[in-house]
Amino acid sequence: MSILDNIIPPSVINERGTLHPINQTKNYLLELLAEMGFKEIHGPEIETEEFNFDMLNIKKSHPARQMHDTFYAEGKKNVLRTHTSPVQIRSMLESKPPIAFTSAGKVYRKDDDATHLPMFHQVEGIYIDEVVTFANLKDIIHQILHKLFGDNVEIRFRPSYFPFTEPSAEVDILSEKGKWLEILGCGIVNPVVLKNCKIDPNKFSGLAFGLGVERIAMLKYGVDDIREFYKSNLDFLTQFK
Amino acid sequence: MKVAYKDLLNLLSKKPSKDSLSKKLFQLGHEHEVNGDIFDMELTPNRGDCLSLIGLARDLGVFFDAPKAFDLYTDTIETLELDFENLSPLDCPKISFLEIEVNESKFEYQPYLKSYINLIGNKKTNLFTDISNFVSYELGQPTHCFDRQSINKKLIFENKKCNTAFQTLLGTEINLKDRNCVFSLDNEIISLAGVMGGFSTACSTKTTKVLVECAYFNPESIIGQSIKYNLVSDAAHKFERGVDIDAQEHALRRFAKVVQDHAEIKSIKLKTFSMGVFQNLTIPIDIGGINKILGTNFKKDECLSYLRGLGFGVSNKIKVPAYRHDIKTNNDLAEEIARVVGYNNIASSSINLHKIVDPNRNEKVTKIESLLTSHGFSEVINFPFTSNKETKSINIDNPLDKNRKNLRISLKDSLVDNLLYNERRQKDSIKLFELSTIYTKDTKINQQIRLGIIVSGRLANNYNDFSKKLDYKYLNKILNDNLCTNIFEINEIPRNTLPTKKKDKILYVEVSLEDIPDTIFSSIESNKKVIDFVSFKPVSEYPSSKRDFSFLIKDLNKVDEVINILDSASGEIIKNLFIFDFYKDNKKSSVKLGCRFIFQSNYKTLSDAEINEKALEIINPIIEIDGVSIPGL
Repeated sequence: MSILDNIIPPSVINERGTLHPINQTKNYLLELLAEMGFKEIHGPEIETEEFNFDMLNIKKSHPARQMHDTFYAEGKKNVLRTHTSPVQIRSMLESKPPIAFTSAGKVYRKDDDATHLPMFHQVEGIYIDEVVTFANLKDIIHQILHKLFGDNVEIRFRPSYFPFTEPSAEVDILSEKGKWLEILGCGIVNPVVLKNCKIDPNKFSGLAFGLGVERIAMLKYGVDDIREFYKSNLDFLTQFK
Repeated sequence: MKVAYKDLLNLLSKKPSKDSLSKKLFQLGHEHEVNGDIFDMELTPNRGDCLSLIGLARDLGVFFDAPKAFDLYTDTIETLELDFENLSPLDCPKISFLEIEVNESKFEYQPYLKSYINLIGNKKTNLFTDISNFVSYELGQPTHCFDRQSINKKLIFENKKCNTAFQTLLGTEINLKDRNCVFSLDNEIISLAGVMGGFSTACSTKTTKVLVECAYFNPESIIGQSIKYNLVSDAAHKFERGVDIDAQEHALRRFAKVVQDHAEIKSIKLKTFSMGVFQNLTIPIDIGGINKILGTNFKKDECLSYLRGLGFGVSNKIKVPAYRHDIKTNNDLAEEIARVVGYNNIASSSINLHKIVDPNRNEKVTKIESLLTSHGFSEVINFPFTSNKETKSINIDNPLDKNRKNLRISLKDSLVDNLLYNERRQKDSIKLFELSTIYTKDTKINQQIRLGIIVSGRLANNYNDFSKKLDYKYLNKILNDNLCTNIFEINEIPRNTLPTKKKDKILYVEVSLEDIPDTIFSSIESNKKVIDFVSFKPVSEYPSSKRDFSFLIKDLNKVDEVINILDSASGEIIKNLFIFDFYKDNKKSSVKLGCRFIFQSNYKTLSDAEINEKALEIINPIIEIDGVSIPGL
């Protein structure tokens, strides 16, 4: 036996790969919401105007429906979904309350600049039952944001406008630098939307919320430029092992 | 929209500080930035009524008391005889015209008009146009001023199909296409209604007689027009969001008053063309319903006083002001109450949903991800747009540009681009995958989740695999041997078709998720990662440099010490460090250890001197060890 046999070679570390940080963040949010009782549902990225807009009370005159905001496909018959809400509409049509769904995935808007991309990711949630109130919505949002940013995070609700919720709110958190950062949109499901989905608005009410996955990922990882996520740069991606 | 703090203060009975005003604006849902004495408002699209001083003051009035009224022209105004016909009352159900003639054309602007022009940053043009802009700022009602001398034929409003050039009052020439709401004189279009007037009938500094048009246009008739013709129009912005259908004569009387403040009025005439009487919407009082929506227990009197404060009429029903197009239901009223109370002042009420136990969620995807990441593959996400058009491609009707006109029908091109991008960044071992839905068309739109895998370069950066290449055998072992299947067809992508001089083979796999049987993953464990949100370090845009060192270790007791020094080496510019060679030389009873350093700065291209200095900092303690040397150094 040679003396060399006693030499232990350096350990070979097989470098692990990594899931994309946006998918990691999306999965994290979905798991967080699943723990709260929301079940994930899926739907197509190419949608009809009916499901992407009409059923959600987004009128023909709404700016979001204009050609400068939405990608239309195949002779304006279809749109690249501008949010994951149509997935919820499809599921609501097939379900009876109480329901608690999350829909997540890619969405598209006709934007391309330093802070907006033509494709990004959303996670949306909806809960419908006999009496669901704005006070309940606040509780759900607090639960989500405390899990995401800690129990001491300062949260601010502001009135906002979404055609599919009324009342509607945008929610900010106070950053360490003392600046309010917009985190999510939410509201009480507009009774028109319930009616469109064959749910009696006199009997049921609901709450809904939507988070931008890139926004959460940028805050949690400290990424300043949204475009970094889509350069497919291994120096960037392998940091998220 | 920019609003001067002092102008708001003038309207409010109470005089809040800038900070207090700002907080209340946020509470009401009116996002803004405060720049000096200017509030730069970013209003939600449902609140067209707030696109003015009076609009914001009406909302703020609930906290700071009802706004004061603007001074109006109160004298009797003669009826205007105007040869006008409205051929499209659905687009314009109400329109008023004011004709004013003044004695002179040179004016000294009153301090309030000067201040408006200075603070809000509008360019001074001519008195009538400046007053029109000022009244729109105050009341939110756009008006358009025609030089009266140019309206010398029958004036017609219509929604007509156009194919003609039109010169705007700013001198820009646009080509009107498709249907547009326009004003015309004997078939000559003189104004793109609700958006911008024309050059031929515009006022100038010499104008002394003006015809002021003041209309309610249906928002759906105006929306998209300014974007279509690339025009920046404050009027269109307001009409698109809805103006007050009751406000036209009021706005014209304010217009006349401001004219009166500047010149002697020689004659003044007014005429309104209305397609009917417009009734205010009423909503039954249902405070119980409002509390049920909000989860609160507000008293009736409290709620009604809030609504009164916001300008709602309250009797046995709630009467919605004509300017509040956004209020239709009890949910809308609930939002009004919540705005006044403050969303943050409504207590949360706990709610617990049933926990979902769904162990099968995406299990196939999770297992694929676990398999690939455990072998060093990194996931990428690509945009679906491409210039490549295939028979099955979905076409985008309104692409961002010609290079993004279609949706990709395969993941291959995107992954090849990702590979080449990383090769250009000096990566020599690349393993990537993407899981995305691909959309194609035949008689209908089809969707399919695909898995794409691409590899090229070294097997790994360790001394076992450094000299081996990522090849068919490697990929086949991971995908087919381990899984006892042949569904993963591995293809080589020839380099000669690609813009690269590298020689390593590129191997590629693309398979539909539904073609991968669930059963083949039974041996793979799902490694669900607990996300810890590591703090990201910015990626350097500067080139990296490598240095290789080969250590000869004759004193075998020092092998561990050398390895430990290398393991603990760190520094701002050390990007990576790994042992690529470890050889036990039995004949010489020594160990040869090859080590690669990769240097890169986040701030600059490193010089040789800087790299060498850092390298020596690491290797000097090693070669100072007895029995360790770098041959040739």
